[in-house]
Amino acid sequence: MYAAGIDVGSTQTKAVVLDEGGRIVGRGIRMTGADVVRSSEEVLAQACASAEIPVEAVEYVIGTGYGRFRVTAGDDQVTEIGCHARGAVHLFPHTRTILDIGGQDTKAIRVNEKGEVLDFCMNDKCAAGTGRFLAAAAEVMGLGVEEIGPVSLESTERLKITNVCTVFVESEILNQLSRGRRREDILAGVHRSIAGRSASLLRRVGMEPELTFTGGVARNPGMVAAVEERLGLAVNVSEDSQYMGALGAAIFAVERARAGASRQEASR
Amino acid sequence: MSSEPRFQGSGVQLQKELLTDWYRRLAAAPEEGRKVAYLFISGNVGELLQACGMDLVFPEVNALQCGIKKVAGENILEAEDLGYSGDVCGYVKNDIGMMLKGNRMPHGTALPPPDLLVCNYAGCATYLRWFEALAEFWGAEMVVVDVPYLRGTAGPTEQEVDYVERQLHELVAACERVTGQRFDESAYRAAIARTKESEDLWVEVLHSARNRPSPIDAYFEAVFFMAPMYVMRGTEGCLEYYRALHREVMERVRLGHGPVPEEKVRIVMEGPPAWPHFRRFWEMFQDWGAVAVASTYSKVGGVWDLGERHDPADPFRSMARYMLGCYTNRNWAMRSELIEHYLDEYAADALVIHSVKSCRSFSVGQADLRERFIREHEVPTLFVESDLADPRYFAEAQMKNRIDAFFEALEHRRMTAGV
Amino acid sequence: MSTVLGVDVGSRMTKAVVLDVEAAPGREILGCGKVYTHFDLADAARRAAAAALEDAGRGAGEVAYLSATGYGRYQVADRDLQITEMTCHARGAVELMPGVVSVIDVGAQNARAIRLAPSGRVLQFRMNDKCASGAGRFVERVAKALEIDLEEVSGLALRAEQPCEISSICAVLAESEVINHVTNGASIPDILQGTHVSISDRLASLVRQVGAEEPFALTGGVSRNEALVRALEERLEMRVQRHPLAEYAGALGAALLGRQRLHARAHAVPT
Repeated sequence: MYAAGIDVGSTQTKAVVLDEGGRIVGRGIRMTGADVVRSSEEVLAQACASAEIPVEAVEYVIGTGYGRFRVTAGDDQVTEIGCHARGAVHLFPHTRTILDIGGQDTKAIRVNEKGEVLDFCMNDKCAAGTGRFLAAAAEVMGLGVEEIGPVSLESTERLKITNVCTVFVESEILNQLSRGRRREDILAGVHRSIAGRSASLLRRVGMEPELTFTGGVARNPGMVAAVEERLGLAVNVSEDSQYMGALGAAIFAVERARAGASRQEASR
Repeated sequence: MSSEPRFQGSGVQLQKELLTDWYRRLAAAPEEGRKVAYLFISGNVGELLQACGMDLVFPEVNALQCGIKKVAGENILEAEDLGYSGDVCGYVKNDIGMMLKGNRMPHGTALPPPDLLVCNYAGCATYLRWFEALAEFWGAEMVVVDVPYLRGTAGPTEQEVDYVERQLHELVAACERVTGQRFDESAYRAAIARTKESEDLWVEVLHSARNRPSPIDAYFEAVFFMAPMYVMRGTEGCLEYYRALHREVMERVRLGHGPVPEEKVRIVMEGPPAWPHFRRFWEMFQDWGAVAVASTYSKVGGVWDLGERHDPADPFRSMARYMLGCYTNRNWAMRSELIEHYLDEYAADALVIHSVKSCRSFSVGQADLRERFIREHEVPTLFVESDLADPRYFAEAQMKNRIDAFFEALEHRRMTAGV
Repeated sequence: MSTVLGVDVGSRMTKAVVLDVEAAPGREILGCGKVYTHFDLADAARRAAAAALEDAGRGAGEVAYLSATGYGRYQVADRDLQITEMTCHARGAVELMPGVVSVIDVGAQNARAIRLAPSGRVLQFRMNDKCASGAGRFVERVAKALEIDLEEVSGLALRAEQPCEISSICAVLAESEVINHVTNGASIPDILQGTHVSISDRLASLVRQVGAEEPFALTGGVSRNEALVRALEERLEMRVQRHPLAEYAGALGAALLGRQRLHARAHAVPT
């Protein structure tokens, strides 16, 4: 028996396929784009191909993310808040708090040992300091998103970036550059500023260790370092951090499939 | 007893008729020689002004109606064109915009200009500025009733009640000057007697939410139920409405009917609704079988469910006491206490706070309320933000995501706890 | 024959205009150039200037005067003068569209409404609120999210039947509304035109705050976006004048003001 989770995010769509034992057997990822239905179908096909199973072998699918209601294969939907929590506790069982820096939302989630959401906080009314800002900063600097973290770690001078409004990213960075600041230092400042905003969200949910950092931004070593420095503790980061939502959805899917199977068993 | 509903919908119909009459009368006021007073909902002195022969306009009610009818956005832009900043209260900007465009309600009634502006609520500095702007625009006289903001948790002191009561007599004198008419004290007493009776009925309606399932949604429905109590309190029509509503709600209790097919979660709501997206906002809760069993917003015009009443035997002093005790005039500790009381009295499962982006005076402390209820009382609490008038602050996808995540977690925890 | 160069270093694009020092009015623009600004402002100015000079077929050696405007004006090497973009846009707009008394300049980040005296002097101006920034950028982001080429946006938007409601003031948060419309199955033209209507609302508000009157002009890169212009005209109930070179209004204004200085210098009585 196989089950899958599909996470349709604002930037990327991801899929994870699990086997009956909850092991990850396939992954798929692509840009979300304008055709959400097609994207969700494609990532599922990709994940099944990497698992070397036909799509029909997947018994239960759960959709998550902003586009969750458009996952045509989806048997049910769970919000990405629930899914990130579930995925994080699955990979790091001692997780009690989760930080997910997404494209437009930054989320702090407090969970119990079962991975159930106890409380969560998100940035409201302002997208400053979310993942989009990092992407835009990378663009202004002429760097790839995956490059800015390592570059920021080369910083030698501590400087403060206060404005992390995504609309003003260019003028903020150009302003710093025109004052002769190095891009390593500017980027380190950007990462620290975003870490600061994340820390205040984490405080609001009452952060308890261990902290697991999920989402695509968690793969940025500069961001991990900035968060760890700010909080004074080590955070868990999985190789699969960007698949965390899809993974959580897939775990729910496995459980639902099992529950369905046992109900059928009982009724026989 | 019959199991067929007989009274359902009668309240809505009656309210519609009453409001239509109300606005018809209002539109005719200048022609028929009646003076018009503009005033605020919180701690309103409607009975007193009517006993001075004045008709009433509530700019806040106009604003919320513009919000619901989806014209507030236009009005707000009109005010911003004049230079009002994006951060200024959505109600104020809606009203200023509406005034600039001819002071016409969304249903078409042209409102008469004010002869007197009665600033009966002083807890919000922006509100004072609002009426000052109207006074300047219309060239009307403005009276401020200085209602001291409550400190501590014991309620108003006798000195505070004295202070407000004295001002009410001064207000009467101002009204007499504007209308050239004598204040009719016996009419005032009679109105206060009707008010008291309406309050009794209204409180029983609110208390009906103690039932399981709750027969009413004490937020999404109550904001409509409360309209006559706020706009035309003390009138025959108002009392008639609460008799009808009471009958209707008691019938729902008898039949076991509620606002959703199956009540799954009982919530307490804090903060005003997102008027410009009211329907959509409500649906997001209905989808989860969530029913508000109590709300603080339905008390901004008066917290009668704690026992306070207008008193025909002491109409001035009881009015002063009422003005001091309104929800918006209560400090953070009192608000917190009231919410705690509601969670307990109505056996609620969760607290939902809807914060208003363009309102600082009411929203201040809501983040702390969230923390307090989660940490100290372990009540699941959701905090969402949009606006009461400005449609630009309502991000549907984000709002739905937060609401879904909250109820989904609640449902899941319940399921596993039950196993 | 010597030339005057005006360079406008914007947050997104850097534009340059080459003027003939002596030519008669209406014939003085010799060439224009525009490049992405990226992060090296001095380099952006150099690249834009080179592009404009190439367009004009003139050499760098002939440049008698260089004036700079825009966000990065202080980074333009060898500049003779720096002027604020407000003044330059006003001057450039009047040159391109004689008689205009109001201008709205819409850039990637900021929008500014300007009311002018007939001489082109700025009488009153208003910039957008911080949170309502990013009109040009907003369109870019939406196009990117919908996987559409920026040049196609206007044509598609003109086919809208019922523009989607996009209410957020923040260009970044509005993007999630766009995605929400996409996931709810709204058509691409309706989403694009919804974006334009939302931007027009904000621009119209700025325009009215300065008491703008006709003749009214739109400058900046978005002036080439026909669908947005129509939405703005509808919102303002005014005709919006444009010019093929409207994007260069700032650089042109800088060059014209530079040329004026040059002439003044040449005719000044030596002391």
